[in-house]
Amino acid sequence: MAMPAPPSPLQRLSLRLLGLGCVGVLALLILALTGQAALGPVLVMSALVGGLTVWLALPPRSGAIGQVSEANSASARPSQPISPPFETILRSLPEPVMVIAAQEIDDLAGQRIHFANAAAKDFFKIQDDGALLITAIRNPDVLEVVDEALFGNLAGEVAYELGGAQDRYLRAFVRPLGAALDGRRLALLMMRDETNARRNERMRADFLANASHELRTPLASLSGFIDTLRGHARDDAAARDRFLQIMATQAERMSRLIDDLLSLSRIELNEHIAPEGSVDLSQVVADVVDSIGPLLAESQVQLVLDVPRPGLAMAVGDRDQMVQVAQNLIDNAVKYSRGRGPVRVECLTNLTGEAAIALREPRAARLALLTPDDVNDGRYVCLRVTDSGPGIARQYLPRLAERFYRVEGQKSGERSGTGLGLAIVKHIINRHRGGFGVESLAGSGASFVAYFPVQPEA
Amino acid sequence: MTEHTVKAYGDELNHLTAEVARMGGLVEAQVADSIECITRRDVPLAQGIIVRDDKLDVLQAEIERKSIKLIALRQPVAQDLRRTVAAMKISLNLERCGDLAKNIAKRALVISEAEALTALTRSIERMGNLVTARLKDVLDAYTSSNVNRAVGVWWRDEEVDEHYNSLFRELLTYMMGDPRMITSCAHMLFVAKNLERIGDHATNIAEIIHFEITGEDMISERPKNTAL
Repeated sequence: MAMPAPPSPLQRLSLRLLGLGCVGVLALLILALTGQAALGPVLVMSALVGGLTVWLALPPRSGAIGQVSEANSASARPSQPISPPFETILRSLPEPVMVIAAQEIDDLAGQRIHFANAAAKDFFKIQDDGALLITAIRNPDVLEVVDEALFGNLAGEVAYELGGAQDRYLRAFVRPLGAALDGRRLALLMMRDETNARRNERMRADFLANASHELRTPLASLSGFIDTLRGHARDDAAARDRFLQIMATQAERMSRLIDDLLSLSRIELNEHIAPEGSVDLSQVVADVVDSIGPLLAESQVQLVLDVPRPGLAMAVGDRDQMVQVAQNLIDNAVKYSRGRGPVRVECLTNLTGEAAIALREPRAARLALLTPDDVNDGRYVCLRVTDSGPGIARQYLPRLAERFYRVEGQKSGERSGTGLGLAIVKHIINRHRGGFGVESLAGSGASFVAYFPVQPEA
Repeated sequence: MTEHTVKAYGDELNHLTAEVARMGGLVEAQVADSIECITRRDVPLAQGIIVRDDKLDVLQAEIERKSIKLIALRQPVAQDLRRTVAAMKISLNLERCGDLAKNIAKRALVISEAEALTALTRSIERMGNLVTARLKDVLDAYTSSNVNRAVGVWWRDEEVDEHYNSLFRELLTYMMGDPRMITSCAHMLFVAKNLERIGDHATNIAEIIHFEITGEDMISERPKNTAL
């Protein structure tokens, strides 16, 4: 039986390189497992650069690594750790990673995405390897650091904001990878999503500003009444009862306000992550109608339902949030229709975005408060709530979904709202990648339309 | 897409598209920064925008020069011709957007000297975010040659107009309430108008993309209300 031949100098070199790669890969795996966010990017970058140099420098890729592992298995030891192919690891990393290749400086059409992992392809909508870098990333700052890495051998990082309906904040890390065998320059580009951190920061500021501003009014009235009760109203039983009643209402309003602010914050936090569940809109409406039974009985508003049987209006969504949308819209409609007429609730299925907000009443004003990206292609399940209230004049429509916005001269009854209902609705629908519109004719009621993407039939 | 027999020709066309996309990225950044310097009263940022606008003018001239050269030397027909002309026209629209962003930055310098108008800047920010989203959408449609996305932007221009009208009313109320604010408010009014026009340029670009890809004009009438 022949002994395995001693490794040739070339093989020894490749083995050493592979070893380097393995260290990188291991560091990567440990990181992936422990999820060390703070140290993450820097270590991951160095690990990636180490691994990539091996993977990209040995032509042909799979062949070379394959041969080396054969050489390894010839002198097989049972304790040898099994490392999966580097490319597989790269492809399955949760964060976008790309390798950029370029011919010469200042040739934009020559900068191509040599490799992109699944996360990068998904995030930047890259169709295939070899696409132009500029079709995926246009931000001038990122392009500049990529240039520096490609032609100046400089590592760099830059934070930038990706505009659009759902704001994204990204941090790009770039490392030079030197020249490939065919003379092209290579650079590694890795992205980290910092949306959550930035959102948190901004939300804390917003919450403080809103809360301190909006809570001041009820708080001032509370302390005013406390002073009065301590002072000359101390022994007046009738006045005391009346004041306590008012104070209770104010306290209740404050707690509702805080609830709404918190729920708005929670929705905003997840706004860039589309929900994945499957929800039956008919069922949602039925549940909401059950829950507002007492309000209906008390306000004596008639509710007209036009809802398909369960199973026909299936949408992609988060059930609790869709209940909140229906609840807020129907609540509002009932409040404004008190003593004026019925509220109509309809569910429509399989509409385009354009059809969902189509005008019902030709004289009415219509406005899309939120429109999804694929308004013409997508199919939507639509919830339409029409009230018999006083209607809203056209000039007030654009600001309806702003927080704390109130249409001048309108009262929503004794149980006044927090001014956050429609803002919450809008943010939920934005998270669902749906649309939101309003149609209104002053004097004869308003109708709100919320539409959600259809759940494709399995 | 079918490959060109002369490889350099295909390269030149790709290069042109890439240049337009790069210019688009610059304009996006300029517009986003201009809104930020209004909301944060950031003077150095505003000065930076004004300086960087020159680069856009240079890029635009270069794209125009390259397009003309390509038409003269390669005599493109059909889709290639549409692509060349589209690059030229889009770069013109983008250059205008850049000018409007520069104008917003100049006004930001004036506004930052006066008292802060928090409620108003928030409305401007909202409108600005809407406009930057449109610009991003239409440039995404351009780089991915996606007609539907372009048509989507074209349909949604109404929202920007509505925002502008509502801001106009809001500003009037402020000016009537306190004459000392008229200077700042008047500048804000122009800022809003500039944003609205950037939105219009985005719809123009959407129309150009539609023609570039399909070879046909957009015929259907867009829902429009009387703009000021």
